[in-house]
Amino acid sequence: MTNLLPLIRNECTKIIKKKRFYVILLILLVLVPMFTYAQMRVAERSRDKFNSDWRLEIQQRITDNQNSLSSDRIPEEWKSYRRIFIQQLQYYLDHDVNPNEPSGVTFTREFLDNSVSLFIPLLIMAVASDLVSGERTTGTIKMLLTRPVKRWKVLFSKLAALLMFVSLIVLSVFVISYLISGLAFGYKGFNIPVFTGFQLSGDTVDMSGVHSVPQWKYLLMQGGLIWFVSVVVALLAFMVSVLVRSTAASIVVMMAALIAGSILTNMAAAWSTAKYLFMVNLGLTGYLAGTPAPIEGMTLPFSLAVLSVWGLAAIIISFAVFTKRDILN
Amino acid sequence: MKDAKWTWRGVSLISALATLLLIAGFVYAVGDIINPQGEALTGSLPQATTAPEAAAADELKILALGDSLAKGTGDNSGSGFVRRALDGLTQGGAKAGLLGNMGINGLTTAGLQTKLQEEGVQYALRQANVVLVSIGGNDLFRGSDILGNGTGVQAGEAAGTAEIPADNPEGSASTVQPTGVLDGKSDTLVTSTPKPGEDELTPEALLSALPEAAKRLGEILETIAEINPQAQVYYVGLYNPFGDIEDLLVPGNQAVTAWNNAAMDIINTHSNMTLVPTFDLFNRHLDKYLSSDHFHPNGDGYQRISERIVQAIR
Repeated sequence: MTNLLPLIRNECTKIIKKKRFYVILLILLVLVPMFTYAQMRVAERSRDKFNSDWRLEIQQRITDNQNSLSSDRIPEEWKSYRRIFIQQLQYYLDHDVNPNEPSGVTFTREFLDNSVSLFIPLLIMAVASDLVSGERTTGTIKMLLTRPVKRWKVLFSKLAALLMFVSLIVLSVFVISYLISGLAFGYKGFNIPVFTGFQLSGDTVDMSGVHSVPQWKYLLMQGGLIWFVSVVVALLAFMVSVLVRSTAASIVVMMAALIAGSILTNMAAAWSTAKYLFMVNLGLTGYLAGTPAPIEGMTLPFSLAVLSVWGLAAIIISFAVFTKRDILN
Repeated sequence: MKDAKWTWRGVSLISALATLLLIAGFVYAVGDIINPQGEALTGSLPQATTAPEAAAADELKILALGDSLAKGTGDNSGSGFVRRALDGLTQGGAKAGLLGNMGINGLTTAGLQTKLQEEGVQYALRQANVVLVSIGGNDLFRGSDILGNGTGVQAGEAAGTAEIPADNPEGSASTVQPTGVLDGKSDTLVTSTPKPGEDELTPEALLSALPEAAKRLGEILETIAEINPQAQVYYVGLYNPFGDIEDLLVPGNQAVTAWNNAAMDIINTHSNMTLVPTFDLFNRHLDKYLSSDHFHPNGDGYQRISERIVQAIR
């Protein structure tokens, strides 16, 4: 019985040596300043327009959204989205809490909300898509499998290493976006209250469950949900990398799925069966913020169930295929 | 080799801790979303009127309230009389800033009354020292609909903050069915079009809505004065948008004049309110100053209204 730990360590070292993780950090270090700068411009502009009075700005946003409700050209789903948005803004305003209090923490929170369904999965893929198919492209898989180690152990060690890096990636997204945006917006803001618990039913928002959470707790909850999404994406990318021979193909397959997901969430409201696809369910943090789900009937337990089923299926397929398949060339 | 050992230790330790933290966050988040614990939240907007006393002397802080005219519907540049008046004031050397434009398409006097109950609107009102109000057009010209089928106005009145009665600026074939333009709800549009008899704007129909709407206008101005006694209020009078339809010229003019007189009566009882007349600006010049929807002014029309406002403010 060979111990699994050295195997996992070996896989970790491989990931580090391949410098994929550094590439991810580099991407973050380039992109986050760009987003920060854009956000800073937005904040500057609204400061000019509203005499830095956020209450006036929120009231204007409410009015603008109410006006857009009257246009007949706007699809009904967008209108109900806006009605919900208006009610939430109104709630913040009535309780004198600024939903966009500028701070590094607020930026991080918003950045994570926006990146959960495409950007973070993309970073995860950068590591996951390569794990098995990379070995086949370079031919090192034969070396690996000729050792007196069971195949499932080899695959398991790869999976464990991957999950370790998933946590590291999620953590580094947090840390980097906080550190960089803090330069522009200040590092305070962990105790700003954020409202959560908006329960949506159709057009109306049930406010009875609403409660305020300090922002650090909100970030923690966000992190947990993002972690879950990332694990599922990692498992799927892992499966694809087992099934497909080349790394390029495995990246393309996953990319296509993710992008299809982001397109579908924008227009699939009419096709309700799409809610069983994993890529439509990636926006878990939306349930926390109280934004309406892309397709009616989606709730947090539903999305979690869908993602879990996909993730489990991915594990089963990966192991079944990897342990049975002949390695030819 | 020693280096690799430390890397491994660091990576494994950090990732283990991060995983634990994230799992904890996940469990907490799921619990919180599925079973949200509501709490009684206190805290409301600051009630004090901060700005007016302090900076009243030199800076004009403008807030616009009301219907699509306040919003600027029909102006291709999107400015409306609010922004144009602001530009006019600035060019004239005054220091002026726009606090906000709370104009909503299709707002009636009843709608504005509910809106004035909102804390955010009250807050904005307290910050302003110049308030531009445009309201009443939707009450008056919807009069025929009130007679035709009562549902339209009920829906409009029942709509609180969640649903705002809307008007339909790009309404179809506006010249043929004047009410189609004004009518907010698409469903009432549908129900009313097959019965053309009810769509005629008769003087009685126009005037029937007047007494109650005028009463509400009085209440609105009263409320504004209560919320911010220091602010100067400028009420933009109505014009007759149907003057170029022969049958509607005289009844329209009569109704609008009656409304403007009623408004004047109310405004004269307040020392810091002014009525800005627009009736004469548009009379007989509708083709020049109305936009393609045949109800709202176009850019030039708004420009003329704004010039009046600038004259009134200075």
